[in-house]
Amino acid sequence: MRTILSVVILVCSVAAFASAQDTGVAAARSNILALENAWDQAQEHGDAKALSAIFDNALIFVDYDGKLLTKAEYLARVKSNDTHMQQIVAEQMSVQMFGGTAIVVGTYRVKGVGNGSPYLRRGRFTDTWVLTDGHWICVAAATTPILH
Amino acid sequence: MWKLLFIMLTLLAAPALGAQSGEQLSTEQRRILSLENAWNQAVQQRDARALKMLLAPDLIDVEYDGTMMDKTQYLASVQSPAGQPLRMVNESMAVRLYGAVAVVNGVYREDGVKNGKPYTIHERFTDTWIQRGDSWVCVASESTLIPR
Repeated sequence: MRTILSVVILVCSVAAFASAQDTGVAAARSNILALENAWDQAQEHGDAKALSAIFDNALIFVDYDGKLLTKAEYLARVKSNDTHMQQIVAEQMSVQMFGGTAIVVGTYRVKGVGNGSPYLRRGRFTDTWVLTDGHWICVAAATTPILH
Repeated sequence: MWKLLFIMLTLLAAPALGAQSGEQLSTEQRRILSLENAWNQAVQQRDARALKMLLAPDLIDVEYDGTMMDKTQYLASVQSPAGQPLRMVNESMAVRLYGAVAVVNGVYREDGVKNGKPYTIHERFTDTWIQRGDSWVCVASESTLIPR
């Protein structure tokens, strides 16, 4: 009888632990997706301060044209809005969790006006997030135009 | 057998080709840069077995044209008879470590023949590696074309 009771307690404990882990992963996913959406909002509004808080100081951003930007360069560009972006929409995103690391892959659409002409771009991005001191920060981001 | 031996030697090789200059690299950084070079060799030799060791089962790969592939699709693309890379070189690479996560940014050039025609691709890549036990595996890779 004691053995059966021990087994039941063990099974319940494992199930509770697995459930807690699932909840933790789901919460992390939701948190990261919220940060991705906050990124788009901050960029649209030229809010470099908000972006600074979610970027690692050593962030490297690879733009759709292959240009490499540091955090300082990226934030300066957001402030100046020299890309003249008017709307950024993340069309779809998926998050893969690897413990304290998350990879977000998604597609986006950007509308803007450059050199007096409107433009519309579609691309695919990969962002790498790392859990640091209880907060998720983006350490790398890359975008690529979708050519077909 | 020779291919596996090559990978083992590459992993042991201290100086990594195309590595970041101007700073002392840690053992792990050197190891990751060697893995990047081993990846090129494996693609050039269409060595699926070596690639399986380098890439995580849940790899996400975004190609320079925005195409997204999982590991199975990526391995199939390497085996495809349509293209034959003749020369693949990592021209520059820099690796940043975040504990058990590493991000490599680099510039890559590939010369080859596709559908009977010569081609050259010049791109910037962002690869994220995760340490699993004693090994590092790539979990995400995105490439962006650098216009000529």
